[in-house]
Amino acid sequence: MKTTGILWRLASFAVAAGFVALWQLIANFKLVSPVFLPGPDRAWASLVRGFSSGDLLAKLAGTVEHMAYGWLAASIAGIALGAVIGSSPRMRTYVAPSLEFLRPLPVSAIIPVAIAMLGLTQAMALFVIAFGAIWPIMLATIHGFAAVEPRLYEVARSLQMSKLAVIFKIALPSASPDILAGMRLSLTVALILAVVCEILAGLDGLGHWVLLSARAFRSADLFAGVILLGVTGYVTSVAMSLAEHRLLAWQASQR
Amino acid sequence: MKAQVKAQVKAQGTANAQRQFDPVAGHPTPQVAFADVTLDLGGKTIIENLSLGVQPAEFLCIVGASGCGKTTALRLAAGLYQPTRGKVTFDGQPMREPRREIAIVFQDYGKALLPWRTAAGNVSLALEAGGMPAAERPARIEELLRTVGLPGHAGKYPAEMSGGMQQRLQIARCLAQEPKTLLMDEPFGALDAMTRQGLQDEVLSLVAASGVTVIFVTHDLDEAIYLGDRVIGLLPHPGRIGIELPVNLPRPRDQLSTREHPEFLRLRRQLFDFIKATEQ
Ligand SMILES: Nc1ncnc2c1ncn2[C@@H]1O[C@H](COP(=O)(O)OP(=O)(O)O)[C@@H](O)[C@H]1O
Ligand SMILES: [Mg+2]
Repeated sequence: MKTTGILWRLASFAVAAGFVALWQLIANFKLVSPVFLPGPDRAWASLVRGFSSGDLLAKLAGTVEHMAYGWLAASIAGIALGAVIGSSPRMRTYVAPSLEFLRPLPVSAIIPVAIAMLGLTQAMALFVIAFGAIWPIMLATIHGFAAVEPRLYEVARSLQMSKLAVIFKIALPSASPDILAGMRLSLTVALILAVVCEILAGLDGLGHWVLLSARAFRSADLFAGVILLGVTGYVTSVAMSLAEHRLLAWQASQR
Repeated sequence: MKAQVKAQVKAQGTANAQRQFDPVAGHPTPQVAFADVTLDLGGKTIIENLSLGVQPAEFLCIVGASGCGKTTALRLAAGLYQPTRGKVTFDGQPMREPRREIAIVFQDYGKALLPWRTAAGNVSLALEAGGMPAAERPARIEELLRTVGLPGHAGKYPAEMSGGMQQRLQIARCLAQEPKTLLMDEPFGALDAMTRQGLQDEVLSLVAASGVTVIFVTHDLDEAIYLGDRVIGLLPHPGRIGIELPVNLPRPRDQLSTREHPEFLRLRRQLFDFIKATEQ
């Protein structure tokens, strides 16, 4: 079991190394003009330069901040709304059609509206990111709350538990696997929208950095930014998985 | 007190609309009382004119064919259903909602336990609801788990426990409520015979130690006689009392000698004939 795990990991490293090597070869033989495609060596050098000057770190912090605030706002609002809607069958029938109308709406369609109302501001970015990221969380929460075992509510009634206690001790933990899965999906959405908002509104962040680098044909800087975005997405999703694993340890025994 | 419970044997099939628990006729006040209770669900009468008094510390068993309304009657006693007509009272007060003094052990233990809490956490739920300070809980939890035969399993999740252990855990949580009345709905119906007999004896000793009142629903006639002070048989469509048998078997009961007792066999025969007649 353990050895196969290690082998798989080695294999995935080998694939990644293969890609980097291929990338280096393409760059070395100038199959694509160096103006557009720097080699990994130049991208790496740019990364190191960016970090040592502190520029890139500031941009990274900006993007992570946009993403985190938007995602947190989406999580709080999504869980709260999802809980209210999910715990009442009547609410579900009333609200479901509106949700079905709003949900498939591409978030990009909301951006002009948000810009018109809030301008090219941080508030606009926060709104757009939160609006995009709320759907997976809210829908997962609705589903989780609707699927709570009715027997547990009867247990709560016979214990005369308060409404608040029922929510925090029964409904939320019961819905937590769904909620956490929704939060993980939203993480990606939040990162994408953070970059989009930075590009559109010129907000400080990797999106803006990438845009400026592209305009100035600084392909190494451009790639450094893209790599950092990839790493950000990867690290946050791994962190989320770890948190899920810890919080849902009780589920391991059920399978 | 139990001797005072005058129970008559009613021939099956007799109308029992007039049957009434009468507190004036020398009975002590019943802890749980049904006064002419009728319950309609989904346009159907499920329970009709049910009158019944359960004395404090009495062990009442309810038997009947599947679908005759045993669970429904128990849910009425728990306050999970409100009667359409008539009244259910607890200690003389009308039952408007469930209350902590009445604990209910559900048959489907798998659904009644919190899968995300350990055994200790599940027992704790009832203590938390009762407002016990956090510092006092661990000792009480340990004591309760020991009482139901689960010492050393405090850290296990329900999914890591066998059916019998899960049902023990549910009983521990119910005891943590410090109930005056314990309602049990076919609690051992899903367990194998050996586990079942062990749990029967454990419940009997628990009940003897705590003096709790028990209403125990089962479709196992032997189990009903073995456990009860009194056995009531329900008639189906709509649910009403068809037979009522006092069980005058000595306590403590014993899996071998009690079940061989002539009185046990006589009651068994009588209940058996009753159930067979209702199934036709
Ligand atoms: N919520 C409900 N709505 C309509 N009918 C019900 C409901 N609950 C139970 N019943 C009906 O009431 C009858 C008695 O059910 P139940 O009390 O569960 O029987 P038992 O526990 O004796 O097997 C059954 O015929 C069942 O179909
Ligand atoms: Mg039943």
